[in-house]
Amino acid sequence: MLLDIQNLQAQVEDMAILKGINLQVNPGEVHAIMGPNGSGKSTLSSVLAGREDYEVTGGAVDYDGEDLLEMDAEERARKGVFLAFQYPVEIPGVSNKLFLQTALNAVRQARGEAPLDMFDFDQLALEKMKALEMSPMMLERSVNVGFSGGEKKRNDIFQMAMLEPKLCILDETDSGLDIDALRIVANGVNALRAPQRSFIVVTHYQRLLDYIKPDFVHVLYKGRIIKSGGFELAQELEERGYDHLIQAYQEA
Amino acid sequence: MTTLSKPTKKPSPLAQSAVAFYLQQAQPLIDASRDLPLGAFRQSVAERFAQQGFPTRRDEDWKYTPLNAFLQTHYRLPGVASIDFAQVKRFLPPFAVMHLVFVDGYFSETFSDDLGALPEGLTIESVKDALDFVSGHQALMSHESQVEAEPFGCLNSLLFDDGVLIQLEQNCILDRPVLCTYLQTQSEHANTTRNRIVLAEGAQMTLIEQYVSLSDELNAFNNVVSEVELAQSAQLDQVVLQAIAHSGMHFGLQFVEQATQSRFSSHYIGLGAAISRHQNTLYMRGEHVESAQFSACLAQGNQVMDTRTHTQHQACWGVSRQLHKLVLDDQATGVFNGMIHVARGAQKTDGLMDNKNLLLSKQAQVDSKPQLEIYADDVKCSHGSASGQISDEQIFYLRARGIAEQDARRLVTQAFLLEPLESISSAPVRDWLAGKLVQKLNR
Repeated sequence: MLLDIQNLQAQVEDMAILKGINLQVNPGEVHAIMGPNGSGKSTLSSVLAGREDYEVTGGAVDYDGEDLLEMDAEERARKGVFLAFQYPVEIPGVSNKLFLQTALNAVRQARGEAPLDMFDFDQLALEKMKALEMSPMMLERSVNVGFSGGEKKRNDIFQMAMLEPKLCILDETDSGLDIDALRIVANGVNALRAPQRSFIVVTHYQRLLDYIKPDFVHVLYKGRIIKSGGFELAQELEERGYDHLIQAYQEA
Repeated sequence: MTTLSKPTKKPSPLAQSAVAFYLQQAQPLIDASRDLPLGAFRQSVAERFAQQGFPTRRDEDWKYTPLNAFLQTHYRLPGVASIDFAQVKRFLPPFAVMHLVFVDGYFSETFSDDLGALPEGLTIESVKDALDFVSGHQALMSHESQVEAEPFGCLNSLLFDDGVLIQLEQNCILDRPVLCTYLQTQSEHANTTRNRIVLAEGAQMTLIEQYVSLSDELNAFNNVVSEVELAQSAQLDQVVLQAIAHSGMHFGLQFVEQATQSRFSSHYIGLGAAISRHQNTLYMRGEHVESAQFSACLAQGNQVMDTRTHTQHQACWGVSRQLHKLVLDDQATGVFNGMIHVARGAQKTDGLMDNKNLLLSKQAQVDSKPQLEIYADDVKCSHGSASGQISDEQIFYLRARGIAEQDARRLVTQAFLLEPLESISSAPVRDWLAGKLVQKLNR
């Protein structure tokens, strides 16, 4: 098992958001986390990536045989956890190239690999960018500065392709994307699917899942997973919405 | 730039004692030229200085730049230390320059390049030599810049005894920068220099000034006044690197006169001194004049860094660009004061001034005052100022990609600080300066 979340509870500013999440992810699996606004989807992504604004108040997360919650954000990234941000951050003055080369070499060093020189880095980057239909010019530009919403998301997926993580968490990557950008991002993700790589796809809508067919779908509501199923659960939600599930959960 | 109000205030005993001290230091200079125009000039400056004295925090222009630490030490004039060439050489940059060296405020013929073997059209003379002529000082000084209205300008006129006079003839274009290295070697020493740079029509050059100290423990006082005159279509690219010991004092005043279609660009890099203040006053007199003023300052410990610009658009179609950045750590204090003044007839003026400050600690503080004064009705001018801390979101984004927190902070700070250097066209010069900033940042 790659990821084992047991009874995870977390709060932000004294408000409990996650109230006991249980989730098991095996290598190569794609899990979708769906749910209405305010259900705790983004909190779950943030807690897994190591954002310090959230306080874990209970439960445990085992990642690849280690205690994930004991690691700080950079350590998680170096061990293969990747968060694609809902809102990728702009960093003026730091070129995409410098940023990604610094990140890649930090990750490679942690894996015991030699750093990539400028030439090898450029070659690898250009190859990955081509697949994502990104202009090589993007490497020279400041990180996400002046990028459109679609370009920012694509840039995140590009970073994912470069860093070759084991666990990819996509936090509402589809939000704010038009249909073409959605297709490119989804193709980028699909190209990264591999037997040793797992995905947690957090989304509000089903449309991303039409492109990235998940193996499992979980519905999050008020900090708990109230229903799990296969891809057909996503289709059911598309047709009938969340209300009937919430009602059934409240009656139970 | 600003005329001090009549001193209704009573100066502190500390200030009084400093004024008396510098008047006494000036006496031998006045005596030496008693019957000459220079002597009369110094005498009138001495009277003005005695009346004007040093500013206090009640003076609007000095409110955030306390001078007590400066007034506590009396910086003596004479005496030049003997040093060897190796001590000078370590300040040379890794690119070709014409090198002029000043030791403790005095031009050093020994350490400077041969002034007899300069490229055609370039004349360099020490101010000391120029003063040997009966009316030498008049040729040195433009009388329109109101140097003496500034307290440190007044002190400079009282005490200057050397500096450099650079003249470039019509249409001469220098292929190498002129580098002036101002080296401090002695503590409690006043290094007063007066420079004049004159570029004739169509002439172009790069001038680099670096202010450095022989040791990190020196407490010496730099007082620099430079007057720059750019004739029609002349172009001066200037770099000022202020990197003296952190215990020293640095006051630099610069007045620039620009004729039609001339271009002036200036980059100020502030690293050293306990108290430093760098001030540009630009008179953009002709039409189609362009100016660019940039600065990058990094203040740590208890350093006080003050950057100010006064940009006067006096004719049509002038373009001015400014970006000033300050990074403040520990208990450091930063000050930015910028004024764009557009005269009544200066239509189609395009002026842009931006100041951005990054505070790395809760104890650091900054005071920023960008100002516009516009008397023409068809202009495009804007100013802005923003101060803030490193964004946690940026740091988390970098950490989430595997970059250690400390490296992430350095990356963001460095990017912030180096932005004003991007407009330096020479890559070796840009890299040299970036290296100095990064070195201090990583210390």
